[in-house]
Formats: sequence, structure tokens, C-alpha cells
Amino acid sequence: MNTATGIIKALNSGIKHLAIKRFTLRYPEEKLKFVGDGYQFDPSTGVGIAGSKGRHMLFHDKCTGCQLCSIACEGVAEAIGMVKVPEEHKHNKKAIMPQIDYGKCVFCGLCVDACPFYALYMTNDYELSSFSKEGLIYTPAQLQVKPYVSQDVEIQITNRGATHG
Amino acid sequence: MSKELLPGLALQKVDERIMTLNVGPQHPGSGHMRIIVQIDGDFIVACDPDPGYVHRGEEKMAEYRNYITNIPHLERPVIHDSCNVLYPYVLGVEEILGIEVPERAKYVRVIASELNRCIYTMYWLAIYGIFLGHSTMFMWPAGDRELLIDLMEKMTGARVTHAHFVPGGVRNDLPANFEDVCLRQVNYFEKRIKEYAAVFYDNPILIARTKDTGVLSRQDAIRLGTTGSVLRASGVDYDLRKKEPYDVYDELDVHTNVMKEGDSYARSKVPWLDMMESCNIIRQALQKMPKSGSVRVKLKPNPKGKVFDTVYKRVESGRGSLGCYIVSDAKPEPYRVKLSVGSFRNLIALPYLLKGEKLGNMPSVYWSLNYWPVEADR
Repeated sequence: MNTATGIIKALNSGIKHLAIKRFTLRYPEEKLKFVGDGYQFDPSTGVGIAGSKGRHMLFHDKCTGCQLCSIACEGVAEAIGMVKVPEEHKHNKKAIMPQIDYGKCVFCGLCVDACPFYALYMTNDYELSSFSKEGLIYTPAQLQVKPYVSQDVEIQITNRGATHG
Repeated sequence: MSKELLPGLALQKVDERIMTLNVGPQHPGSGHMRIIVQIDGDFIVACDPDPGYVHRGEEKMAEYRNYITNIPHLERPVIHDSCNVLYPYVLGVEEILGIEVPERAKYVRVIASELNRCIYTMYWLAIYGIFLGHSTMFMWPAGDRELLIDLMEKMTGARVTHAHFVPGGVRNDLPANFEDVCLRQVNYFEKRIKEYAAVFYDNPILIARTKDTGVLSRQDAIRLGTTGSVLRASGVDYDLRKKEPYDVYDELDVHTNVMKEGDSYARSKVPWLDMMESCNIIRQALQKMPKSGSVRVKLKPNPKGKVFDTVYKRVESGRGSLGCYIVSDAKPEPYRVKLSVGSFRNLIALPYLLKGEKLGNMPSVYWSLNYWPVEADR
């Protein structure tokens, strides 16, 4: 191929993109859809359930304070510490529950795999930014709250190219 | 006054014509490493790559963590190719424990590792484009990579650093309706990367800049021990997916792309052709995959395999052969983990390729070696 045809072909290929749809997610205005409700784990079968690995969610009525999540995190990020909680449950004699530091967490989800009581799941919430380091430490009371995550768009493939919408 | 110098400290002769230039370690065109080049006018006389700026001691860290908590650490060297980095480690631990992995899990692993190879190669291609001043080739791969990252997010829950492979299978099953979405997006992805030919690979400006620069002959490629796309671009048909098939690669039809030229054009084109082959493999795997079944075997607390053992497993990663050597002494932590990576092997060829080249060709030759600084330093 000679030089002139090659350059014209390259320009032509670029000009074609004026006609195809824009493949850009306009992030704060629109947010991607997730599969499922976040990463969960079923200890009876030993297999996880697909989902996004975001902020954790703790079920106070199931947590026994066994510290297995904290032990699982020891070699990874040391993000989980066990803290005293005011309320007392029959199954949680020591009244301790995990507190997670998201400044350290790497969102690998091994703590969820370690929990044998279905007490710790992950949610789709990924917007965790804070103005201080202390703001990134989530207490058991904060982890109890189910987050609201807006899910607007997903990737769609049309004849005029892929787009978010 | 004459001084007795230590043997290694002999003073270098100063030549008025030769200038020593440090490219890096903060230079955007070098990655996290330094390339010391000596130039005579515009021509490179000698080159000394100096890696090691991002050494994080992953191998030593692995000796203090148990086999499961090693997983998020060992995928850190290449976060874009994290499934392939973890693959040999997981295969090795499975051999030590004597676990047989479910059939469906093997196919899921193959799909995940092929998607990861494409994600890595697209990122590499984007950087190659911006190295050559081709901004379009930075924008398009960086955008189209999103199609596959979306698939990996649906599959594993994370965009990068998936921590998806574990000894005994994968951590979670595929989500509902994943096969259709995967097939649709992979088909579109393949259509998109074929369009790169007109704007990049058949572009006369790119050909003029990269043809016949940094030629690595077939003999030199074998003698220097290069792997992966660098070896295949020099005319050696060597791909571990074909030569030493692991998991289910022996049941799939794997085609390798070989080019004879051995210049930086061929080295940049082979990964692009490999991406189309990856799309083929994903389509085959989706078709042959068992529709249901377990994806993970439960590990027993006290394994009864040959736990005093050493294994060496290797896989074909985005940068060539990637091996993992594990020594186990029947403790929860491995006695030794050693990664043998393709990046470091390919870097050895750089001083030979750059001798006599123009300085302007340095970025294209350097990045065509498919080198990832973080992986080489570990």
C-alpha cells in the first residue's frame, strides 16, 4: 500500500467515528448497573454469589463476635478490628463486632468467605470518600445500614456502536 | 596520586563525544524504571536498563502469610492481568494438595484469564500509542477496554485486582445470563479491535517509524531467553497454551500468531493478533462449558496430600511465560514462593536491540518488548 492511500484510510476510519455513538459514562450524573446485591458467600456450599465488592454490611442479629473475619484480614490489610458494642445479644456474649477501616481495606472479600454465620456481606456501595481518615473507619452501627446505590445505565450494543444508556 | 580501586569500581573513560542520559525513573516514557543510555549525536552507543524502583518484596511477604491470604498480594504485580499472575500459584497449590478442580471451574478460569489478557494488552496498546504520539490509539483502546472490564466486574465483583482464583476452583459462580452478555460484548470487542488496523497497524507513519527498528533475530531471541509475544514476533512458534496445556486448553483449539520479522512493528502486532485469538478461545469456552455444576471444592482443614513438596507451574500470561515455584513444608505458610516473570526475561533483550538505534526509536523499541516494570521488580 502506498503512503497516500494509507493516510486516507486512517483518516477515513477516524471520520467514521463522528457517526457512531459516544461510549462515555458521564459518571456523577449516571451510574453503572450492578449484578446482584453485592458479593455474598454461602458457607454451606463453600461458593460465593457473584456481585460487586463494595462496602460491607453487617447483620447484628447474626454476628457472634467470633473474630474470624478479623483473622482472615490479618495477612491482607489488617483493616478489621473488633470493638465493643452497647447492645447485647444472646449469641454474642462478648458483645464485640467488626469495625472496618476503609483506608486500609483492599476489597478482596476474604472476610466474607470466612464468616460462617451469614453475618457479613458486601454491598454495591463504592462511594466512600471522606474528608478525614477517621471518616473512613466504619463502626458496627454504620455497617448495619443498607446503602442506597443508584443504578441507572448499562452497556448497550447497537448497530451504531456501544453506548451507555 | 594513584589510588588502588576495588575491582568493580574501575573509573569509566570519558569520551568527549558520548553523552550519558538518564531516561527515568520519573520519566513518563520509561515507567517505574531508569534506562541509562549513552548517545553519540542521535545514535545510541550503549544502554543499561536499571529496574528495581518498585520492588515490594512480594515473594518474601508470601512466606509470612498463609496460602489463602497470599492471593490478594500475589496479584498485585500486574493488576491489569491479575488472573494470569495468580494462575500458576493456584495450579501449584492444587498440585501440592492433590485437589481435582471441577470441570466448570476450569472453563470459568480460562474465560477469566483470556479476558484479563485482553484487558492487559489493551492497556499496553494504549500506552504504546501515546509513546508514539498517536493520541487516537490511546483513546480507543482505553475506551474499548471498558467492555471487558465490565464483564470482569460482573464476573468477579471488582474492576481490577479480582482475587477470583483460589486453590480448588474460583470464588463464585458466574452470574445469571452472563454467557449471553459475554458473547455479545466479546463479539463487539473483536469487531472494534479489527478497526485498529486502518488507523494504526496499516498506517504508513507507524510503519515508517517501527519497521526495521530493534530487529531481534530468531537465534538471538532463543539465546537471550525471551518469551511470549517477543519470541513469537521473531518467528518461534511457542505458546504455553499449546505446548504445555493447563486446565482445559488442550480441549480448545488454540492458534498461535507468529511473525518472522522480529522488529518492533512485529512485536507490537503480535499481541493485537493474540487478542483476536483470545476472543476465539472465549467463544469456544462459552460453548463447551458445562451449564451447571460446582465451581469450587471445599478445602479440608488438614490436607492429606504430599504436603512436603516443591512444584513449578507456568502459564502463558500477557507478557509471556509466567512461572511460580512453591516449596511447601506442611505449614499454613509456604516455605518459599518464587515468581519467574516474562517481563524480566524480555528486558534482557533491550541493550542488544537499542545499540545503534536512534534515540527517537527508544520508546517504541522499549515498550514493544511487552515489559511491565512492576512485574519485573515484584
